[in-house]
Amino acid sequence: MEPASPHLRPFCVMWTRVPDETRARIAARFAMPGFELSGFEPADPAALPSWADALLLEQADRDRLREAFDRNPFLTVELGEGGDEPAALREDWTGAPAVEPGFYLSLTTGTAYGLQCAVLVCDELARRGGLRADQRSNVELCLHEAIANAIVHGNLGLSSATKNQPDGYRLFGQMLRDRLEDPAIKRRRIDIFCRWNAATVAIAVVDQGGGFDSGAAPAAVGGKARSGRGFVFMRALASRVAVTDGGRCTVLHFDL
Amino acid sequence: MQFQTRSTSDEVEVRLNGRLEFTDHDRLSDIVGLLDGQRARRFTIDLSGLEFLDSAGLGMLLILQEEAEQRNIKLTVRGPQGDVKRSIDLARIGEIITIEP
Repeated sequence: MEPASPHLRPFCVMWTRVPDETRARIAARFAMPGFELSGFEPADPAALPSWADALLLEQADRDRLREAFDRNPFLTVELGEGGDEPAALREDWTGAPAVEPGFYLSLTTGTAYGLQCAVLVCDELARRGGLRADQRSNVELCLHEAIANAIVHGNLGLSSATKNQPDGYRLFGQMLRDRLEDPAIKRRRIDIFCRWNAATVAIAVVDQGGGFDSGAAPAAVGGKARSGRGFVFMRALASRVAVTDGGRCTVLHFDL
Repeated sequence: MQFQTRSTSDEVEVRLNGRLEFTDHDRLSDIVGLLDGQRARRFTIDLSGLEFLDSAGLGMLLILQEEAEQRNIKLTVRGPQGDVKRSIDLARIGEIITIEP
């Protein structure tokens, strides 16, 4: 990769030297049920490159993420204030196969909130040839809903039931502000994994919250319910929706 | 999301611009506040300038509808276009709120 701006740290990282926590998330997500794509079966490990292009950002914002994506990294990881230490990158790794085409983005919740991540990710999918223009709108809405759920109900741990109380929307807004000011909560990660082939594009959104009972997610919401329509949108517009990891991971498939 | 307000003797019109989504809860309080202290019996939310509406934004429209009902004010949503209209149609909000083209 070309020399980076001071806030970007590009490098080729040996798969055997990715920090355990990050490696485990990548390996688990790209191999997770429902996220495999035909044509992307595990390759002969000996035939895979032993390294991947990676970019670390001390603190992400929209411009820095676009600048990072322009360098075509496979891994884009925001370290975040008080979060993972850069030194962790020199710790032991156990190896994970690179998958192409695809990309992985890991942001702290404090950054992901208000960043319009779905727009950024869809821009990048389109730029790398993984998203047709006529599919963009539906993919972006579904991805936005998955990310919003991961942030609000996952990492911030807020229940929409709060909105149904008298004056509940004010209480919900206050709770949201309070949680976004909690450093430990702001550091929780939102991971977004994308891969595609000629037949389909798959996107996984993973949070570090308490999970939820995916069976309780409504297939349809009617009447005056103030919440619950995010899954209705996803199920209406995506080819397939899978929820795994006790509700911490939503995988969206869109057939091309 | 940003909004502008225009008031006449019988109507308050709020025009929304940009994106109405889960990060806009604070703006909702501001708009609900417009329902108070008005003599107008009609409250129109103009969405013709809105580009994006998510499920949380739809929930906000429903909250505004309930708050207006409690004050005996007639709420109408006007002019949803493109992706915003898709969200409204998918959620069948038109069965609850009056939607004008």
